[in-house]
Amino acid sequence: MSASVGPVAVNTFREAVRDRVLYNLVLFALLMIGAAILVGQISIGIEQLVIVNLGLSAISLFGLVMSIFIGVGLVYKEIEKRTLYSLLAKPIHRWQFLVGKYAGLLLTLAVNTAFMTLGLAAAFFYVGGRFEHANLSILIAIYFILLEFALVTALALFFSCFSTPMLSTLFTLAIYVTGVFAPDIRSISEFTNNSMLLAVTRALYFLIPNFHDFNVIAVAGHGEPIPFSLVWQNTLYAGLYVALLLVAASAVFSRRNLK
Amino acid sequence: MSSASQSRSLWMAAAGVPLLLIALAAVQAKIDAETRAFSQENDQLLLHSGAAVRRLSLGYDALAADIYWTRAVQYYGGHVGSHNSDFGQLWPLLDIATTLDPKLIAAYHFGAIFLSEPPPGGSGRADLAVQLVRRGMAADPENYFLVNDLGFVYYWYLRDYPAAANAYLEGSKIRNAPAWLKIMAALVAQRGGSLDTSRMIWTEIYNSAQDETVRERALVTLRGLRALSDEQLLDQLAQQYKSRFGRFPASAGELREAGLIRGNPADPAGYPYVFGSDGKTRLDPQSPVRIPQGLQLPGEQSP
Repeated sequence: MSASVGPVAVNTFREAVRDRVLYNLVLFALLMIGAAILVGQISIGIEQLVIVNLGLSAISLFGLVMSIFIGVGLVYKEIEKRTLYSLLAKPIHRWQFLVGKYAGLLLTLAVNTAFMTLGLAAAFFYVGGRFEHANLSILIAIYFILLEFALVTALALFFSCFSTPMLSTLFTLAIYVTGVFAPDIRSISEFTNNSMLLAVTRALYFLIPNFHDFNVIAVAGHGEPIPFSLVWQNTLYAGLYVALLLVAASAVFSRRNLK
Repeated sequence: MSSASQSRSLWMAAAGVPLLLIALAAVQAKIDAETRAFSQENDQLLLHSGAAVRRLSLGYDALAADIYWTRAVQYYGGHVGSHNSDFGQLWPLLDIATTLDPKLIAAYHFGAIFLSEPPPGGSGRADLAVQLVRRGMAADPENYFLVNDLGFVYYWYLRDYPAAANAYLEGSKIRNAPAWLKIMAALVAQRGGSLDTSRMIWTEIYNSAQDETVRERALVTLRGLRALSDEQLLDQLAQQYKSRFGRFPASAGELREAGLIRGNPADPAGYPYVFGSDGKTRLDPQSPVRIPQGLQLPGEQSP
């Protein structure tokens, strides 16, 4: 399996690395992190807090942009350029192609996130921050952001298997935004007496990916501990959801008529 | 393109770019002058609900809180000292910032001062400051700094000494709270409004504040309190002088000649005190030192 997935992943990573838009996005995110130093100067009492909050938000926001906009083009580009046909002529299954593409983009996002994390660390130490045990939460927050990217990329890839990039972007964004409001969906189900609405909101709550639980930026900013149980639960949740989406995407893609 | 043509283009660019930049700067200055009048009015908030801003921030509420807090600081900085401002947007900005991030301690700590200071130094709404700090205490019950802030607002701005003593006592019960909170509670309960209690509170603020603006404010108040203490002492000496010579002293020199003082008493800024014909000592009108107003000094002893 890995013999087929690996080369696709590596090639996807190489292709993404050659894309100058990525560098611009990373540069812009680093500039935003640098700007946090200035924000700290014109505010009072939040010099380090704003670096962490703005830094993590920039990492999350720009990573999400990359996940969605590159993710929706992963399959579409290969079909449009007709490179997919030569690839599928080789001994490689369609699902292996998909998983390889997914892994390649995830690797790209992880490398970009690592660069942005270095920028955040530089800004943090510049304003006199010291790495203490409490700051471990910042690293966990970044890990959660990566899990979020993994989910969003899987969503984008899933939609791109049967839809145009424009529609896939819209679908992914819509689900992402709905997932951010997952607790609100749950609270509707808690406050309604309508059994139909209760069933729908409950089903929606468990169906929609819960992006709210990955957001621990405020907790990390205040240096509060993040329980280890949440780390493994979020990891398991993201893993299961990604697996679900990749299986669904493979099923759709394997039936897709590429002629 | 020929080399002559290339060279001509280069020279045109070299001359044209700076000229255009100068023209741009001139036009920008003109636009700034034109728009200044209505940009000053552009203080209003589009959204007054913290819950609405939280939803619109799409999960980036911690960052949005920092932005709203920074806006509050900028708003306060832009209006402090202005006699025309009612600081009308200060509370909504603080309300939104602390709704977005209930653990934004800086917003409670400094926001309470911004709200409590009487105009034109703030909005003069110590009641809202109490509400703000209590909200912070609910969000972070282990934070004794906030309880200290509450005690300070009650003590200094509302002159509600029993409430201040209660707040300090409440704070002293928090885990890892410093011992001086209990002492403060006892002092405020026994001698609320006294000069030495006020001095202790402001000294503690001066020593614990990390922000330069707060330290400066504490230093200014401590200087005022020292001047007040000096004035009380000199007033007593003026009374002694009168009992000996039948009139109040006209200057520090007369007190010196009578052997009641040594040297020339001056306020913390170095200006000599002025002796009134009513036996009351006052600050030199040129002195930058300001005596804190409204202190009740029941049976205040000389320092």
